Amino acid sequence: MAGFFSLLRRLYLTAYNFTLLVGWFQVLYIVLRTLKESGHENIYRAAEKPLLFAQTAAVLEILHGLVGLVRSPVTATLPQIGSRLFLVWGILWSFPETRTHVLVTSLLISWSITEIIRYFFFGLKEAFGYTPSWLLWLRYSTFLVLYPTGISSEVGLIYIALPFIKASEKYCLRMPNKWNFSFDYFYAAIVVLGIYVPGSPHLYSYMLAQRKKALSKSKKE
Amino acid sequence: MKVTVVSRSGREVVKGGIQLDDSATVADLQEAIHKRTKKHPSRQRLTLPVQPGSKERPVVLNYKKSLKDFTSGNSETLTVVFKDLGPQVSYRTLFFCEYLGPLLLYPVFYYFPVYQYFGYKGERVIHPVQTYALYYWCFHYAKRILETFFVHRFSHATSPLSNVFRNCAYYWTFGSFIAYYVNHPLYTPVGDLQMKIGFGFGILCQISNFYCHIILKNLRRPDGEGGYQIPKGFLFNIVTCANYTTEIYQWLGFNIATQTIAGYIFLVVATFIMTNWAFAKHRRLRKLFDGKDGRPRYPRRWIILPPFL
Repeated sequence: MAGFFSLLRRLYLTAYNFTLLVGWFQVLYIVLRTLKESGHENIYRAAEKPLLFAQTAAVLEILHGLVGLVRSPVTATLPQIGSRLFLVWGILWSFPETRTHVLVTSLLISWSITEIIRYFFFGLKEAFGYTPSWLLWLRYSTFLVLYPTGISSEVGLIYIALPFIKASEKYCLRMPNKWNFSFDYFYAAIVVLGIYVPGSPHLYSYMLAQRKKALSKSKKE
Repeated sequence: MKVTVVSRSGREVVKGGIQLDDSATVADLQEAIHKRTKKHPSRQRLTLPVQPGSKERPVVLNYKKSLKDFTSGNSETLTVVFKDLGPQVSYRTLFFCEYLGPLLLYPVFYYFPVYQYFGYKGERVIHPVQTYALYYWCFHYAKRILETFFVHRFSHATSPLSNVFRNCAYYWTFGSFIAYYVNHPLYTPVGDLQMKIGFGFGILCQISNFYCHIILKNLRRPDGEGGYQIPKGFLFNIVTCANYTTEIYQWLGFNIATQTIAGYIFLVVATFIMTNWAFAKHRRLRKLFDGKDGRPRYPRRWIILPPFL
């Protein structure tokens, strides 16, 4: 019975990882094609559907961690997915004025390349129990460039969106109300920007340490 | 006897070791290490070396004991493993700092015209519930400070300095967060009966909580030996961590009376933290009092929140 479940788990995770791999491939392909054919202003409109699908489906990864399907700790996946969902739904989808900015291009290229490598890596691992060493190298090296480009794009887009957030009053809760609570999306967005300041170097140095561990371990084998 | 002091990686911490009288105590050893390493005794964690691969927890050297108690047979030499716990601060200092924040910050929102800086100009009408909330809140934290100095007996004398920043951030931020909403010019009070029930229940729980603390204090031996006893009496007969239970319900009373999301968020977080502590304490007590070797068996009890946990 246990063998059956472990096989089921492997099948499910393989299917999950390859589905998302295809999704992000679509995003990258559409971005590059649109860039060539028209211009960076149309990138979001063209890539919106696969982007919303691929990035939102990643919420399942939190579930996978919670129920123990995968080993990744929830504390690591939650902030990562949180920031992605915030950018996709909380900034780009909610404030169309930001969609034509050139940073959307750098954002989607950084994200899609990273995710393609990541999902391919995990898909192979679940399906065959093995990943080629060049893929391991890619997984633990591309972040060196893609994290700075991705993070800069995220921070830039949040900053660009600020005046639109303030003017629209979207997602704000004002007093007075029965529960004596208030929420200001503008100030919340500023707090998120603030979190990037200590958060980014922390994340980057964590990945550097992971890189050292993963690449030295593979050398020993 | 000669004491060799090594770090966990095996490096000698005090070159050449320390020469002490055979009758010396661990405290004497700590003083000597302090002289040589400038590390105050409260940040020294001294343990006996553990065999590599052994899963046993290392024996910690208690400052009152004689060094002789730790030398097995051969009383000429002793090797101790030294760990630097980092800068320490006394628990009293830590608690005083973390409680002083809420005690002083909350009244600022009540008495001073701070809301104009948040864009709310003009006169502010103060509802009775807001005044009672001020008294309730300040009473609570004043009680905590007094208990810190006159009631609590701490099992450890000190806590790492970093906890000062972490704990103060927690208490001071939440204190300001709640104070902001309860004293807000656009605050909406609940009905009179709800307010009375909330504060009444809360005061009852605060008094119970104080009594729980008295019981816990009396469990500890006055010489500061520490160690564990089975809590008995009052609510402890049915729940292990009755002190946490009354604390949680006391905040519930405050929130029923004041009805702010901020207050309820604080309640949920505080409950989460205390529940983790309660589980650990309950587990420890059940492990210690297993009913074997003449030890009493720990009775079946709720952990922290009857009838759920």
